[in-house]
Amino acid sequence: MKQSKKFKLHGDLLTFLLVAVAFGVIAYLLYGGYLTRQVSNMLIPISVYIVLAVSLNLVVGLLGELSLGHAGFMSVGLFSGCLISIALAEVLPMPVRLPLSMLCGGLIAALFGLVVGLPALRLKGDYLAIVTLACGEIIKNIITNLDLTGGALGLNTNAIYSNAKTLLPYAVVLVLLTVLVMMNLKRSKQGRAIMAIRDNRIAAESVGIDVTWYKLVVFMLAAFFAGAAGTLYGHYFANVKAASFDYNMSIEILVIVVLGGMGSIPGSIIAAVVLTALPEAMREFADYRMLLYAIVLILVMLTTNNPGMKEFFSRLRPSALFRRLTAKKSPQKEGA
Amino acid sequence: MTHFIQTLISGLSLGSIYALIALGYTMVYGIAKMLNFAHGDIIMIGAYAGIIAVGQMNLPTLAAVLLSILICALLGVLIEFLAYKPLRQAPPLSVLITAIGVSYFLQNLALILFGSQQKAYPTLAVMSHYTIGGVTVDGISILTLLVTAVIMVVLTFFINKTRLGKAMRAVSEDKAAASLMGISVNGTITLTFAIGSALAAVASIFYGMSYVYIKPTTGAMPGIKAFTAAVFGGIGSVPGAMLGGILLGVIEQLSKTYISTLWSDAIVFGVLVLVLVVKPTGLLGKTMNEKV
Amino acid sequence: MKKFFCMMMAVLMVLAMTACGGEKTPTPNQDETETIRIGGIGPLSGGYANYGFSVKNGAQLAVDEINAAGGINGKQIELSFQDSQADPESAVNAYGKLMDWGMQVSLGGVLSGETASIVAAAREDNIMLITPSGSADKCIDDNSRAFRVCFYDSFQGAAAAQYIKNNNMVDTVGILYQSDIDYSVGLYNAFVEECGKSGITIAETQTFTDATKTDFSTQINALVNSGVKLVFIPFYAEEASTFLTQARGKFADDVYFFGADGLDGILGKVEQDPTIANNVLMLTPFAADDPAENVQAFVKAYQAAYNATPDQFAADAYDAVYVIKAAVEKAGTTDGDAMAAAMTSLEVTGVTGTMTWNADGNTNKNASAILYYDGVGSLFGA
Repeated sequence: MKQSKKFKLHGDLLTFLLVAVAFGVIAYLLYGGYLTRQVSNMLIPISVYIVLAVSLNLVVGLLGELSLGHAGFMSVGLFSGCLISIALAEVLPMPVRLPLSMLCGGLIAALFGLVVGLPALRLKGDYLAIVTLACGEIIKNIITNLDLTGGALGLNTNAIYSNAKTLLPYAVVLVLLTVLVMMNLKRSKQGRAIMAIRDNRIAAESVGIDVTWYKLVVFMLAAFFAGAAGTLYGHYFANVKAASFDYNMSIEILVIVVLGGMGSIPGSIIAAVVLTALPEAMREFADYRMLLYAIVLILVMLTTNNPGMKEFFSRLRPSALFRRLTAKKSPQKEGA
Repeated sequence: MTHFIQTLISGLSLGSIYALIALGYTMVYGIAKMLNFAHGDIIMIGAYAGIIAVGQMNLPTLAAVLLSILICALLGVLIEFLAYKPLRQAPPLSVLITAIGVSYFLQNLALILFGSQQKAYPTLAVMSHYTIGGVTVDGISILTLLVTAVIMVVLTFFINKTRLGKAMRAVSEDKAAASLMGISVNGTITLTFAIGSALAAVASIFYGMSYVYIKPTTGAMPGIKAFTAAVFGGIGSVPGAMLGGILLGVIEQLSKTYISTLWSDAIVFGVLVLVLVVKPTGLLGKTMNEKV
Repeated sequence: MKKFFCMMMAVLMVLAMTACGGEKTPTPNQDETETIRIGGIGPLSGGYANYGFSVKNGAQLAVDEINAAGGINGKQIELSFQDSQADPESAVNAYGKLMDWGMQVSLGGVLSGETASIVAAAREDNIMLITPSGSADKCIDDNSRAFRVCFYDSFQGAAAAQYIKNNNMVDTVGILYQSDIDYSVGLYNAFVEECGKSGITIAETQTFTDATKTDFSTQINALVNSGVKLVFIPFYAEEASTFLTQARGKFADDVYFFGADGLDGILGKVEQDPTIANNVLMLTPFAADDPAENVQAFVKAYQAAYNATPDQFAADAYDAVYVIKAAVEKAGTTDGDAMAAAMTSLEVTGVTGTMTWNADGNTNKNASAILYYDGVGSLFGA
């Protein structure tokens, strides 16, 4: 027991260090001018997707609730954070303004997380999924009709636009911070309480875990990081429209989480990189690339869940990525 | 008043289409415990089948209708066999992602086969407007309502009274026990997919006749609305899907007419959230037993 | 150990990505290259692919013609057109790919959203950018090297109202617009403002969204009941075809439907029964049946090459390439600043009219209205 805990600590530290080193290498290559424009243009979106996936993983993997409204939180954080940033564009320098607006965007998104999280106390499984989807669509509809956010014309963020080279350090810090918080949470008393709720809510309740409180905290925390990532995302595009952050985007984030493995932080990171890079790598196939993307998605799901393949993988390497994907005891087990 | 009746009828006919699609969602969910996200795209395939049957093969209306139902049913069975059956033991989320993959696949396949330009659905039957007591109603709305009502009665009878229907309910209750009673679980699931997809084909015919234009992404929005309707009515419940679909259609049209077209999306989803908060398992959903 | 393995994979992947990036092609010294490289970005997959292909084909036709005639200043042109899936994020990636390829002049993006993202990304690259069809007012803001060939949205909205006034068509109008796309809202806002100035009364305003664009029954009822004789429909041909099909037989025979360049290609959308588009008026700078010699030559060449009648997107793209040619010839280089300086003093006559440019990147050209009846479009009014 003691042995395993020590190992876990070690593994988390390693993951964190490797992410940091990977970003270090990327930063070196970017600022040294060794990266192509195509790759450097993907760095900020990839970082944002990593944060989105890791934070959604908190809800889906750790708490075991299906959320289809993550893009809605991102959208709330994006518009509120960017509006604050635009208002302060003349007053504060970038190194103060961007973290501040990311913090504000995250907090406002967390507030929405609270609002959406409240019904989550009563709902379960697919009912919760549809309510989160509905909330995401309501958010989209409201932002599209607000004058403040530029409405359907979109918010013109030219005043705060920055390129990948300027934004990368902030993206790196945000990713590392998200990963750090998630890792610590997973290992902490609170994290174990959350996982206990996932595995058996009634048992968790009976040992005195405040289910309501933890569910709300998880929703708010996930929304916070999605909102902060949204603010960053808004700084990278000159014009943002609420319509882009619909249920399709929420589903894309969910795909990253499931492909990377439920509850697995390194899995989410890898899947975010692969799924963002894949359509770009398949550019040569033109018309067929989205068809290929769909086929890859189906095949990955089929092979990772195939008993023969499972055996093969488990002999090859008992990695957390695939173990979690194919786990017999799933958090979403029917009728649970 | 006439304005209200007119709105109500268009809401009912829109709701009927949602209900037909929602039935497919709910039956598959009831029996396989999975959200078949690709269900909406079956409608799109059914609509293209209708376009080709009439436009290129010059089939008569009835043959075209039957062909599109047949194609959808076969497609549903094929998808189940290739993509979902190998995942019977997998966690539900893996199945959900596979279903999303199938949905992307169908949309992009249609894009390559038929192009991104919309195509007009053929006029299967000439429908005129009827004016009864000052209320003008499209013939197609009436036809949609009537056919949907008939289908619902037949389906309710089928599920409750026939052997196959009882087998479906048994598999949905308890797969292991059903197979011990000599019911072919795989066969029953295949049948469910076939029926659900055939209903989607019927929906595609009314969709095509009412809204005419078909694109590769045509199935996405009715699909997501029908999914909403199925959950609204209580997912897994057949009468719930019918009720949920029709209510969703009526609410959508009423809010567009009497409140604002600007906010109709938010209102429809807002009503859904409210209903689920008050009644967490949908209107007619079964309360889930929690095992201690 | 397993975590370690995972992370090794991640690192390997990152290295693989950067390795792909390793073979970086140095940006060619602009004036010493053999060819002039033009890059275009637009949706070639997904629901908007038809616009992307129109622009791609129109631009390619112009490139082929120019190359056959000896190129620009003796240099041949190369065109690379990348898919954006109508997504700004993908468009920025595509822009990066084009820069790696050595793009010297950019055709911007086909849609406004993607154009806005590229315009911002291109600001530091000293690349001139001319979008054929990005019409949202703000999509070329804050970049002095960004221009457009098409009208901008608020200009069109105002022009539509003036047109109605100048031709004494009606005093009261109804409006149906799509509330969640920038094109429609941009035209609507400008139209309403101009109506206020010229004393046109708006009797009924209805909206729809992407989620509700298949069913127009409630909007049609409201517009019919308001009794207006003209409905302003500032949205795209696809939605318009659905609206007109459902509206058929419900409006009186003398009700006009007035739209802008988004309606372009409406006859192709209702080809099963062209009378659906009866009484549709479209304000446009380009019409495929315009008898002008250059327009007919373009239409014939396009039909021969692609077996389709060019729409306005194709015409705008065709003109954009000729504008680039004129600008390079005038500036004598593909340097962005020099070309941008040349742009404001250019006058180019293309298939979409005679164009000059303001410093803000907008073009001045005339619009005329086309009235459709029984599948035939004819010039209407003045």
